[in-house]
Amino acid sequence: MIKVSNLSKRIGEVQALDDLSFEAKDGQITGLLGPNGAGKTTCLRTIFGLLQPDKGIAEIDGIDVSKYPIEAKQQLGLFPDPFGLYERLTPREYVSYFAELNGLSRVEAKAATAKVLSQLHMDDIADRRCKGFSQGQRMKTALAQAIVHQPTNIILDEPTRGLDVMSTRVLRDLLRGLKENGHCVLFSSHVMQEVAALCDQVIVMADGKVIAIGSPDDLCRQTGKDSLEDAFIQLIGTDEGIAA
Amino acid sequence: MMNKIMTMVRKELIDAARDKRSVMAGLSYAIGTPLLMCGMFMLLIGQMSSPKDLNIKIEHANNAPDLIKYLSSQGITHGDSRSTDDQGEPLDVKDIRLVISEDYAAQMAKGLSAEVILIADNSNEKLQNSIRRLERNLQTYSAEMGSLRLIARGIDPRVVQPIKVKIEDQATPDSKGGIILGIATMTMIYAVFISGMNLAIDTSAGERERNSLALLLSHPVSTRSIVLAKVFAVTVFAMLGLLLTLIISKISYAYVPWHELGFTVNISTDFILLMLLIGLPIAMMAASLQLFVSFMAKSFKEAQSYLTLVLIVPMMLSMAASYNIAPDTLQWLPVSGQQQALIAFIKGREIPMLQLVLSSVVTLVITLALTFAMERSLKSEKIIFGL
Repeated sequence: MIKVSNLSKRIGEVQALDDLSFEAKDGQITGLLGPNGAGKTTCLRTIFGLLQPDKGIAEIDGIDVSKYPIEAKQQLGLFPDPFGLYERLTPREYVSYFAELNGLSRVEAKAATAKVLSQLHMDDIADRRCKGFSQGQRMKTALAQAIVHQPTNIILDEPTRGLDVMSTRVLRDLLRGLKENGHCVLFSSHVMQEVAALCDQVIVMADGKVIAIGSPDDLCRQTGKDSLEDAFIQLIGTDEGIAA
Repeated sequence: MMNKIMTMVRKELIDAARDKRSVMAGLSYAIGTPLLMCGMFMLLIGQMSSPKDLNIKIEHANNAPDLIKYLSSQGITHGDSRSTDDQGEPLDVKDIRLVISEDYAAQMAKGLSAEVILIADNSNEKLQNSIRRLERNLQTYSAEMGSLRLIARGIDPRVVQPIKVKIEDQATPDSKGGIILGIATMTMIYAVFISGMNLAIDTSAGERERNSLALLLSHPVSTRSIVLAKVFAVTVFAMLGLLLTLIISKISYAYVPWHELGFTVNISTDFILLMLLIGLPIAMMAASLQLFVSFMAKSFKEAQSYLTLVLIVPMMLSMAASYNIAPDTLQWLPVSGQQQALIAFIKGREIPMLQLVLSSVVTLVITLALTFAMERSLKSEKIIFGL
């Protein structure tokens, strides 16, 4: 479970987060939807402790990230944007390395790595160095890193960007699988179809604030639109109207 | 915590060993520098030492046959550009002229001072030894002639030598080689700064540039563990560079004709062990300094230019220590303090333990301070994202 309460963060002149509160529950896929510059990445970075909020708290499984960063991050998997691969390591070494950093022993890490690599159909590239990988192969490597230690909570920052249809499907199936196994999945996106197809709960964000929270259907009903895209435009547009 | 640090160190070392740029930087210094130094020493020795047979230009030699005979018994003979040795090879004639005056024989016969003129460029370092040698021989000959004249007049020659100076040179062969070995030690100490430098940049500024720093910091590891692992990995690389430099030096220095300078330079196993022991704190300081500077820099390239500037400081300390122009305070400072202890060891003197311990402690304190500062800086958003 990931919970943020009244998060505020100013970066330079910009109020990146403005009294942001929401909760992503276990066994659900939660989508953080917003236009570019809405504060999605800032919000996620605050959750895994890279940024300190000016106000408010972020909690993972009830543990305050800024107070007990190591304990809080113990149950967290992260799929970052950009991926941050080590180009000179192979996916097997890369994934195993982060598994060990998450507290697995060397033997456990190797076993867990082998399992996740075959789960993602990566056996053919598992022992090749990451340099020169395609976008899809990079995505899979980053994803394997995020889930190798079976964390309760998984955060994905713009996971579908630059992926072809096949890779997107792999990702989608994997996220559904995680949800069925009771994991809490939180991802940010600005791709409507992704969010509509996957999410149980959508958090619409703009200018660092929560505009609306609900299932895709709820949001459509709320705005009286047929598609999530139209609902989204309506929500964001209305907000701009108010702001002006 | 220890397990995680070891995991990170192992990963850093695997990553670095596969990075051609890091490996090449370390290797080229460790192999290249001792060889370059050897070449330089060989050249220096060849030019500085006066050859066994010294050939100079002697003008009007027939005016002073006895002097010429004496000089040639000391290995100093006339030669010109056409002269050849026994094998028909052209002779190496030094650019020194000895002109014997026209009235030499007449003045000698009258018991007066006869004039010889020595013409040479005194600022030419390469000729120094040869000029000194010629002067010395001329003076010995002159003194001998003087004594003979006194004896002929029934006077004891000791009358004109109220003080007889006896010089006992206490320099041992090893201590004479001190300055040259000082320069050699400097290049060895510098190995710990150069060998790990590229890795230090790659694992800090490089890691941020490749976006893996934020990912690493998002995992459940403390910044302290991350910093310690990085310092440790860079130190290992620096020490490997130092070890390689020492081994190459030991082998290659054996080929330099030291005996021509009248001393020996021997990189003994004792010296290698002492150097490794003394080098360890310096390597740790170098690692933390380079990592700290690289984290402060915004990019790989910026880190490279900053580090080049920063590394002038240990270079200066080390140079001051090797040229013996150092004020006493330098004995207590990092790098120069340790180097002076190493030089003392080479010269066969007692190692100044207090200075060595203190400069090593200062080195470690600087290491800790830099490591602590790095740990703090990695909590800053500006450093993590290179803002």
